[in-house]
Amino acid sequence: MKPLFFANITIPVPKKEIYRRLGYRDSITRIAFRQKQEIEHYIEEAVAKIRLRGAARRIPIHKATRAHVALKGDIVFRSRNVAAILKGAEETLLMAATCGSTIMKAIKKYALSSNIIKAVVFDAVASEMADAGLDWIMRYINQELSRQKKYLGRKRFSCGYGDFGLVYQKDMYRLLNLMQLGVGITKDFILIPEKSVTAVAPVYPTRP
Amino acid sequence: MKTKEKIIATLQKRIIVLDGATGTELSRRGMPQGIMPEAWVLKNPDVLKAIHAEYRYAGADIVYACTFGANRIKLAEYGIRNVGETNRKLLLLAKEAVDTRALVAGDIGPTGSFVRPFGKLEFEKAVAVFKEQIRGLCAGGADLLVIETMMDIQEARAALIAAKETTGMFVMVTMTFDQGGRTLFGTDPLSALIALQGLGADAVGVNCSTGPEGMRAIIKSIKPFATVPLVAKPNAGIPRLVGKKTVFVTGPEAFAKEAKRLITVGVNILGGCCGTTPRHIQLLKDAVATMRPQAVMRKSIGALSSARRTVIIDAQKPPLIIGEKINPTGKKGLQQELLDGNFSLLRGLAIEQEAHKPVLLDVNVGVPRIDEKKAIQGAIEALAGTVVLPLVIDSANPSAIEAALRLYPGRALINSISAEKEKLRLLPVARKYGAMCILLPLSGKGIPSSLSERKRIIRKVFHEAKRYGFTKEDIIVDGLVMSMASNPEFASLALKTVEWVSNVFGAHTVIGLSNVSFGLPNRQMINAAFLAMALRAGLTFAIADPLVVALLRKKTIQKIVSKKTADPKKLLDLFAGQSRKEIKPLKKIARIEEKIYQAVLEGNRDSIDKLLKEGLGKGLGAYRIIEELMIPAIMRVGELFDKKIYFLPQLIAGAESVKKAFGYLKPYIKKSFIKDKQKNLILMASVKGDIHDIGKNIVILILESNGFKVIDLGKDVSAQKIVAAALRYRPDVVGLSALMTTTMVRMKEVIALARKKRLTTKFIVGGAVVSAPYARSIGAEYAKNATDAVRIMKRLHKA
Repeated sequence: MKPLFFANITIPVPKKEIYRRLGYRDSITRIAFRQKQEIEHYIEEAVAKIRLRGAARRIPIHKATRAHVALKGDIVFRSRNVAAILKGAEETLLMAATCGSTIMKAIKKYALSSNIIKAVVFDAVASEMADAGLDWIMRYINQELSRQKKYLGRKRFSCGYGDFGLVYQKDMYRLLNLMQLGVGITKDFILIPEKSVTAVAPVYPTRP
Repeated sequence: MKTKEKIIATLQKRIIVLDGATGTELSRRGMPQGIMPEAWVLKNPDVLKAIHAEYRYAGADIVYACTFGANRIKLAEYGIRNVGETNRKLLLLAKEAVDTRALVAGDIGPTGSFVRPFGKLEFEKAVAVFKEQIRGLCAGGADLLVIETMMDIQEARAALIAAKETTGMFVMVTMTFDQGGRTLFGTDPLSALIALQGLGADAVGVNCSTGPEGMRAIIKSIKPFATVPLVAKPNAGIPRLVGKKTVFVTGPEAFAKEAKRLITVGVNILGGCCGTTPRHIQLLKDAVATMRPQAVMRKSIGALSSARRTVIIDAQKPPLIIGEKINPTGKKGLQQELLDGNFSLLRGLAIEQEAHKPVLLDVNVGVPRIDEKKAIQGAIEALAGTVVLPLVIDSANPSAIEAALRLYPGRALINSISAEKEKLRLLPVARKYGAMCILLPLSGKGIPSSLSERKRIIRKVFHEAKRYGFTKEDIIVDGLVMSMASNPEFASLALKTVEWVSNVFGAHTVIGLSNVSFGLPNRQMINAAFLAMALRAGLTFAIADPLVVALLRKKTIQKIVSKKTADPKKLLDLFAGQSRKEIKPLKKIARIEEKIYQAVLEGNRDSIDKLLKEGLGKGLGAYRIIEELMIPAIMRVGELFDKKIYFLPQLIAGAESVKKAFGYLKPYIKKSFIKDKQKNLILMASVKGDIHDIGKNIVILILESNGFKVIDLGKDVSAQKIVAAALRYRPDVVGLSALMTTTMVRMKEVIALARKKRLTTKFIVGGAVVSAPYARSIGAEYAKNATDAVRIMKRLHKA
């Protein structure tokens, strides 16, 4: 199946998660009205600079052991973490979400200037929006799968975590054709703009 | 009688029953997984015809042809190119199966590609894809069309426009909502209804995703606002995973029982989706046979929608504010951005206004030499994903308005239509796209200066509008407010216009609020008083800056409205009094020392310089300010952060205040003092391969605000560079930061190289993936966050 592109993912701003990422704890953290206003304003400004886009692609699993997963074609993920996540699945969903380059330029600009708060809030907003973008893609694919009597697992796993090496970002990049979303990749396998995330999730068969 | 009229007539008398699932039935009867049903049934026509016939015998009045995915985009995935012929053949199979005893609907499903502004597929391309399919369905003899299982309101609109521009058939549109009651793009059932019925759907409703019980609340919530019959085609319950099988849990008896309850909340057309069988439809038919349908409750509705929100005008308490700020007049930056095809400022203005709770946003992109058609479409796309508020399309250019309406994913308001011929030509366009209109009492012969003249123009334009099916609910009359500076009588005339339209003509009204005070002093006061008077005259909407109106406070305005005085001067005085009361005096902090301490605690960077100036002026002395106020305050901020009473932005704000204060106080401090007080020197770097440096920058800021000297080597720094710098500066500590597991290993390389070069400097490491055991394993101290780094540095300093 070819990659499916989502050119404008529209989601509510995950404010609770943004505040949490910044260290806010319900019923413990106290924040003055003026500071709250300032942060809310930065969140608004950040959201205006984010263009959330994404891609997804389902690929059948050719062979799987406890230590590796071979996808149809020539891709092999040598990772016990990924093998555990994809256990029992007949396909894997590869997905990516990106916030675009405008927000990253702003984060860099403010991190270098004296407004680190703004940079930090922008960074938190972009991170959470990208993550929420993957949630949205999973909900979309799950809805499609349910019509085919299939089922998408709830968990997902990203390159760079556990034993799922960042080197696989290169395969994710190619298979999802992320160039189409304006995303690039460095020789160290980091996606550019940085607020871009990829993940794999299991697609289970629901009929024998 | 034509089929469309027959369907409409039948709907007056009884419930129309649709068929059940085709896909799950095909699977049950041997269709393999992972193939395209449309292709398989063409090779196995008898299986499909049997399903259609069974639904017909079960009592379905309408069966759906197996053309759900038979559009160019889906068919191409399976190498099928002849779209028209495929649709025609599939339609004919259904016709052969049911003979003339049931109607056959040409079934149009999603393309799987998302339509702009939510996806990449150009709107006009989507329309063309659906038109191609519809032509094939018409060639096969479809009796009606059904657009179903739509998740993207824009794709549903494209299909509906294609249907309306190709044929005069009865068209039903059903969307699918998740369990939260919205589509994945956030469209709620009411917004879908308002957009689709406005665009000319003959019936609107819901299918798939949920069982009949899950659809009841949706139908009940939208029925009062529907101007068309409602459709429900639920699944046989919510599918559940039993072992590795998806099981639809609602059997035919329970389905029929629940379906009856759907009729009681207002469904007019009812069938089954995934998991339903001919038996479900048979029992459903029996259950609803004697039930009378609930009639459509209204002919028209004053409502506006975006893809994600609907504003029902009568359900809101005036004044309903229309945000006016997306207008390039007098805004050079916005003008340039629009000319460049950039919409960042425009999105910023929309978000800023939305925070102050207007109900609609006015969008005007009129700049000299701009391609306004392209610009307004760009603005609509930019705003669709940014704000939830419905938009007002504000342009003097009729073709720009038409382009905007075609693309806008909801029911828009046009600003404006007047009695000029060119403007009247917009009426059929507005009707086609279901838009509401602001009716401006202008005829091209200057500003009408009497109420009678205004009444005449309003009646004339409305008379024209009625010819296209508009009602008074579909229009909003502009009071035509002009500046009191040019002619004070115009303000009074606008109020009289609003009063007459509200109380006699019987339509909603709008005013451009800030026009009244243009060129005058005390504009806010004049605006507030005028708004209060207009509200008393019956005003519904005001086009204004939402921030300013929020400042005026609705309560204050309401108080003024309730005063029984018609004297504008008294109202102005009254408002002046109210506005003074609104300004609350700041809590006084008696001592400057407390103020400075508090400014750090609250991260008040803007006022710190002023406070320091005051403190120095009162003889506090720079040394005392630093030692007795700044340092204790930033330490307190650190404590509050450790206890989670403060969170990260507050910690940084405190540190930035101190940093700014140090900068201000520097000229007042002797160098020797700085040297004495300067604690250890730290060299900081993000290791090679790690381009993330926000965390490291925060640590640097907090360390500096606590009096440590820091040399920042930046990000993505090699082990060789770090060790070379350490040899050169001889710091007391080297701090290393890494965000990823892949770059964390570089920390070990740095320390190993340093030891090889006989450097005994201590290392502190930190970052999202770094842990205390890892730090120990490479011979470093571990700092879990910035305040922890300060603590470690102080410990090392004492040692």
